[in-house]
Amino acid sequence: MSIFLRKNFTRLIVLAVLAALFVAAAGGMESSDFVITLLRGLSVGSLTFLVASGFSLIFGLLDVLNLAHGTLFMIGAYIGWTVYVRPDTFVDLLTPLFLIFSGFMLGDVWAVIGTRGLFAGGMKRILPWAGMLVSALILVGVLRSYPVSIWNPEDYAQSPVSISYLAGLGQNLLPPPAAFESISPLLAFAGLLLGSLLLAFSLALFAAGKQGLVSRLNWCSFAGFGAFLLAGILFFVFNDALTNFLASLNTNWLFLIAVSVAVATGVGLGALMETTLIRPLYIRPIYQLMLTLGLSAIGIEMVRAIWGRPEFTMPRPAFFAGTGEGCPATSLADWWQYHCSTMILLDGRIRIYNEIFVPIIGLTVLIGVWILLQRSRLGMVIRAGVQDREMVEALGINVRRVFTLVFALGVGLAALGGVLAAPSIGLSNMMGESFLLNALIALAIGGLTSYPGAALGSLLVGLLQQFIIKYGQIGIPIPFADIIFKPTPPIVPASTILLMVVVLLILPNGLLGKKE
Amino acid sequence: METILDVQDIHTFIGQYHILQGVSVRAPKGSITALLGRNGAGKTTTLKSILGLTPPRQGKVVFDGREINGMRSFDIASLGIGFVPEHRAIFRDLSVEENLKIAERQKGDYVRKQEFIFSLFPDLKRLIRLPGTHLSGGQQQMLAIARALVADNQLLLIDEPSEGLAPVLIEQLMEAIKQLSAETSVVLVEQNFLVASKLAEYYVIIEEGRSVKQGNMKDLADDKATIHRYLGAA
Repeated sequence: MSIFLRKNFTRLIVLAVLAALFVAAAGGMESSDFVITLLRGLSVGSLTFLVASGFSLIFGLLDVLNLAHGTLFMIGAYIGWTVYVRPDTFVDLLTPLFLIFSGFMLGDVWAVIGTRGLFAGGMKRILPWAGMLVSALILVGVLRSYPVSIWNPEDYAQSPVSISYLAGLGQNLLPPPAAFESISPLLAFAGLLLGSLLLAFSLALFAAGKQGLVSRLNWCSFAGFGAFLLAGILFFVFNDALTNFLASLNTNWLFLIAVSVAVATGVGLGALMETTLIRPLYIRPIYQLMLTLGLSAIGIEMVRAIWGRPEFTMPRPAFFAGTGEGCPATSLADWWQYHCSTMILLDGRIRIYNEIFVPIIGLTVLIGVWILLQRSRLGMVIRAGVQDREMVEALGINVRRVFTLVFALGVGLAALGGVLAAPSIGLSNMMGESFLLNALIALAIGGLTSYPGAALGSLLVGLLQQFIIKYGQIGIPIPFADIIFKPTPPIVPASTILLMVVVLLILPNGLLGKKE
Repeated sequence: METILDVQDIHTFIGQYHILQGVSVRAPKGSITALLGRNGAGKTTTLKSILGLTPPRQGKVVFDGREINGMRSFDIASLGIGFVPEHRAIFRDLSVEENLKIAERQKGDYVRKQEFIFSLFPDLKRLIRLPGTHLSGGQQQMLAIARALVADNQLLLIDEPSEGLAPVLIEQLMEAIKQLSAETSVVLVEQNFLVASKLAEYYVIIEEGRSVKQGNMKDLADDKATIHRYLGAA
């Protein structure tokens, strides 16, 4: 015990000071204000944690500072919105997406061909680039003519802003389905498949020089390819039926599907990003940094081009949207009966979705990922890989595959954060950037590669921001002077940065970080 | 005599530096072969090159009749090669048990080998729940070797097992390596000639990135001139 105290003396003092500040902050406001502020802090902290934890896992194992993490959080939100509000668009996109990704399922096959030295000299250098160019031309050509029923951000009546508003009023009428006109379905299928195979092969050839000889052909690759191809065909055949089914679902189920699709998209994007773009640059960390920064900018522009620049909201599912009889709820039983959007707690009104549901999900993810890290073999490999990748590889473990899994998991967590944030804070092109900044501050406070540190840092950032906002409304009486100080909005981000600076000056590795 | 490992004239570069400039090693099956040489001669790089951690650019590595150079290191290890690095590389955030379990290649490897491992290193049984950070240097070395024994490895590559250990521990470790060599072939790098000569049946001397001499350890022990010339010991 005494060794523990001696080793962690500074850390415990800092934590005690933070706890004392928290108690003092709580003492300066009404109990209802305190509870609401606390729950809001937990909500912001939970969303920050979903970004920070993924970022921390990726940095801890892969040494990759993924500056596109915030953008992937934002993409999660926009994907979730699309599934939730425009299921027809989502279903229309399934066939082309499954066909495009089918080629990447044959990754091991391409790797074997790429590392067998079948192509030599100039051919080896030119072929990947030529392949990528041709496949991009084929894919763009086909996708331009592929019929997808979609909104139009240039036309206000058909823009996401209007669609969201109408959906919130329960008047979400889907337009007639898009039909094949300028391209035949067979040609579109063949083009997408050919483009996908060529693109995946070219990228594998590109990476071939950077990995050892791949000796074993994984036959599961063919099964994966077949499954994706079949799924693409089935989604095409049952397009209308699936659209009608989704449109007929109540918003709770649709929200659940939207969350699942957003997370799956995040996982898929993460895996794709790691295998194709990050992996060839492991020996050049600075290029990785530039790459993720560039991807972030591209992601934001793509979101602007597809969904438009204006901010809009995502309606909350029916479970958290009740406003009529019996609302606001006065107890959890009431809420369960009427599904009110708000509840009265200690004379204050709290929003169930934002201040109860989001923190519960944050806590569930915290525990779930903790169990994964501490109790599963994958977690064991991740923890070992963070310390010594080479040794893990020397034990016969494919660390590259674990890298891909962790990258995918990290991005999946960010996407989950995004889709959960959408009904709470709305959708905007800059939501990712602001949460990435929060997450980076949280990680610096908690410890860059510490998972519990990510949780503690996020909690502190969320609480500090919300308490400053609250004190901006009620003011802080300055002792021995008749002055009430009201923090202005710019102080909110400044306060978290100040906390980070103070913590780092005292504990350079953060509150729970380990010495590097 | 059947050969488990045949390294043929390998050349390895680290960055722009040509570290191994022609190393050949033949390790007979069921024996201990020591790689000897001065500091910086290229012994550790030879082990890493065999395992593909620093892949050789030229030459051949044949393990159990199969050419393995150019393969990815985890594929090479999966063929049945265990590695005990110089710095032990114990995963400090993992418990002793987790450090052993992570080396499983098939589910149940650890349970199956538990008895054998604890008969070689009884101390580990007592420490099973402790994190890797809490182990002494000797205990870490035992754990590192035990970890390489969890999977069914046909060959163990052990780098400087006696480094930094007290004489009592070295004796204990030597006994354990001798015992395990009855089941597994061993190639070890050892700076301490006394230890190497007691353990190994065969030797290879590496000098400035080249293998310059190899043969039977008994013959080397009698060849004081060679020992003095290449190992600096009399």
